[in-house]
Formats: sequence, structure tokens, C-alpha cells
Amino acid sequence: MTGRVIVITSGKGGVGKTTTSANIGTALAKAGQKVVLIDTDIGLRNLDLLLGLENRIVYTIVDVVEERCKLKQALVKDKKNPNLCLLAAAQTRDKSALSQEQLKSICEELKEFNDFVLVDCPAGIEQGFQNAIAGATEAIIVTTPEMSAVRDADRIIGLLEAKEEIESYKLLLNRVRPNLVKSNDMMSVDDVVDILSCSLIGIIPEDTGVITSTNKGEPIVNDENSLAGQAYHNVAKRIMGEEIDFLDLDAPKGIIQKIQKFFAGLFSKEQK
Amino acid sequence: MKDIFTDLYKKVAGFFQTQEKEDNAKDVAVNRMKLVLMQDRTNLTPFLLEKMRGEMIAVLAKYVEMDQEALELNFEQEGEQMALMLSIPVLRAKDDEEIQAILDAEAAAKEKAEAEAAEESEEESTEDEEEVEETDEDVEEVIEEEVCTVEVEESEEISESPDEVEELEEETTTKKSKKK
Repeated sequence: MTGRVIVITSGKGGVGKTTTSANIGTALAKAGQKVVLIDTDIGLRNLDLLLGLENRIVYTIVDVVEERCKLKQALVKDKKNPNLCLLAAAQTRDKSALSQEQLKSICEELKEFNDFVLVDCPAGIEQGFQNAIAGATEAIIVTTPEMSAVRDADRIIGLLEAKEEIESYKLLLNRVRPNLVKSNDMMSVDDVVDILSCSLIGIIPEDTGVITSTNKGEPIVNDENSLAGQAYHNVAKRIMGEEIDFLDLDAPKGIIQKIQKFFAGLFSKEQK
Repeated sequence: MKDIFTDLYKKVAGFFQTQEKEDNAKDVAVNRMKLVLMQDRTNLTPFLLEKMRGEMIAVLAKYVEMDQEALELNFEQEGEQMALMLSIPVLRAKDDEEIQAILDAEAAAKEKAEAEAAEESEEESTEDEEEVEETDEDVEEVIEEEVCTVEVEESEEISESPDEVEELEEETTTKKSKKK
């Protein structure tokens, strides 16, 4: 079996790369795919926290390249899902502990026995970023509808375009706030897509549940009622090639809004 | 008391204005975003863009009369390719005589400048400093005249303020007479 290697990157920090990696990885594993998540943010690892695996890490990716252990020994199995593994970053080293060739060979090895190898990229465009994209053939660019994040995403797109090995890249728009978009206080999904001229793989609404799920060490895709979790499930399905409509973020949640929408619907039909 | 009324007025006025309000945060963000990315992608600084704009106006002004304030210069992404989009509101097309006059003046100025440049280089080889200085001034004058004629054409047609036009005309005529 030859799996796909997808890097999750953004340029700017704090836009949700690690959250996205954890959730897409978990969603793909739940859908029956064999997945390995690689944390390449050496010195600032967090993917273990989001998955709740921080106490199970024995070996890291640096131990693998420095041959203190076998690759398979360093893979930490997820608590709930046996399809999902984590290759953690070292916390006491820095980005120079890895080289592009080393990451490439790790990805090559991992994709032999996995459907998906997801690489969680560190912020920035320096060595850490170059390492992370070294073994990948696909990329997901995470951004938010904020100017600084969009600008950095544009820069990343430019760098990915210049790299031949990257066959396709898609945009994931995170932390969208429908209310602010509606009141014209924030760039809309269409605005960002138009500005970056990059096709979308997902729209994730801002969800306070992400904070609580991080605190519990459980990706939000495990919460069936969460809108963000549902959005991440849809991203995973799109990655697997299904055609799924984007979530209607304007959909009313409360009973009153539902009634309002019902009457609004009736009214517009009568007008026709 | 006064404060209450002004506050009330603002609220009422604001209520009626909301629908016409265009400068919302989203539009500002989108426009700033497009501009900054254009600069990032092309390495063109605002200074260079302005220079490019100015030079384009100078060229285009020879052939059409346009609304220079409303001229828009943008980069647009069309799929893989980036396109330079220039939107010029044309007020009026200039007729053949006008265009010919400008082109003739330009050609004459260019010829003169070239001739003088050639002279200059000759003189440089003989190392006659006084002569070189004189020709330098001449070249400057020629260039000045060229700019002025373009400006006069523009302001005459748009007729912003007659005083200015007259002044400019005077300036050019005096320069011409000086040259003669």
C-alpha cells in the first residue's frame, strides 16, 4: 500500500494547524483509514496534547533519525482509535535536529503501511517549514479570515507552487464567524478564496468547543453535536474523494430563528 | 442637554446612513489585502507603482483625454496568471491634429536633445568645460518645455481654472521666446 503524504501548513502561527491536523487525522481514522500524524514542530510540540497522548510518548522523531529506536517503536497509538498513530516531536531540541532528507525518508517509510501520513508543520517559512514539506505531495493551507493570516497564506502558496513535489494544495478556512461576516465586519469565505485564488477543502466555524476539547485532550470530531467537528468530518470525506457540500453557516440554531426562517421561506415562495 | 440632542441626531442620522455606508471593515480589509498582496507578489513598492502610474499617464495623455484621478492600476489574479489591469475613464478622444501636434513637438524635442547630447559628447572629448555647462542647461529647458506643453493641453481641455492655464501658457511662451 502507498499512502498519501499531506502537509498541514499556514505560515502564521495560531491559526489552527495543530488542531486541524489532530481533527482531520482522527476523522480519517474514524472513517477506517490508517493514519500517522507527524509533529514536526520540534521544540514546541503540541499535537500530543491535543490528542491526549502527552504521557505516552517514549521516543520522538529525533530519536528515530538519530537511530536510538526503530520507526515503529516511536509511533504512539491513539487511546481510542487503533488506526491512528502519532510520531511526536522532540521537545528539548530545535528545528536543526532534522534535515529534509531525513523527513523525506521517514514519510517514504510510513506511507508503505498507512493510507495517510499527515505532517503538522511549524509556523514560519524557515527550516522547520522546509523540513515539513520535504516528504509531502499534497498540502492543506490553514488560514483564518484575518489579514495577517491571509497574507502569510499567500506567501506559503507561493513557496508551495515553487516546489515541484507538491502536486496539489487546498485551502482550509478556519475560525469563520458567520455573524461578523453577515454584518460586513469580516472577510467572507468568498473574499478569501477570491484573494488567494486557491480552491477550498473546508470551512470551519469558530467554536468554543475547540477550547474545551483541547483541554480534555480529545479532538472535537469526537463530539457528534459540534458544528466544527462536523466540518472537520466533511474535510476528511473530501480528502477521501467524496463530494460534500460546504456547511451552511447561516443556518439558524435556536427555535426562534428556525421559526423565522420557516416563515421567511413561506413568504419568499409566495412571492414567486 | 445639548449633548443629548447631538447624540440623538447622530443616532437618527446613523440609522438612515447605515444602508449607504460603504467603508465597512470587510471592504476595507479586502481592498487593503489585495493591494498588499499585489506588492508582495510583484515586489513593487508603492513608490514604484506611483512612478509607473505617472509614466503611464504621461504616455496615454498624448492620445486620449482621461480622468486622471479615476485612473486605476491593479493586479488581478486570473487562474495561474497575474494580469495588470489598467482602468482609464476616457473623457474624450483627441483628434488627429492634436495628437500630431504633440507627437511633432515630442519628436522635435527628442531630436534636439539627441543632437545636443551628441554635441556634448564631442565637446567632452575636447574637454571644454564652459561649453558643456551651456548645453546642459539647454537640455533641461527642452525637457521642461515638453512637460509643460502636455500639461497645458490637459488643463485647457479640462478647464479647471483659467488662471492656471494662462499662467502655464505664459510660462511656455516665455520659455519658447527665451530659446529663440
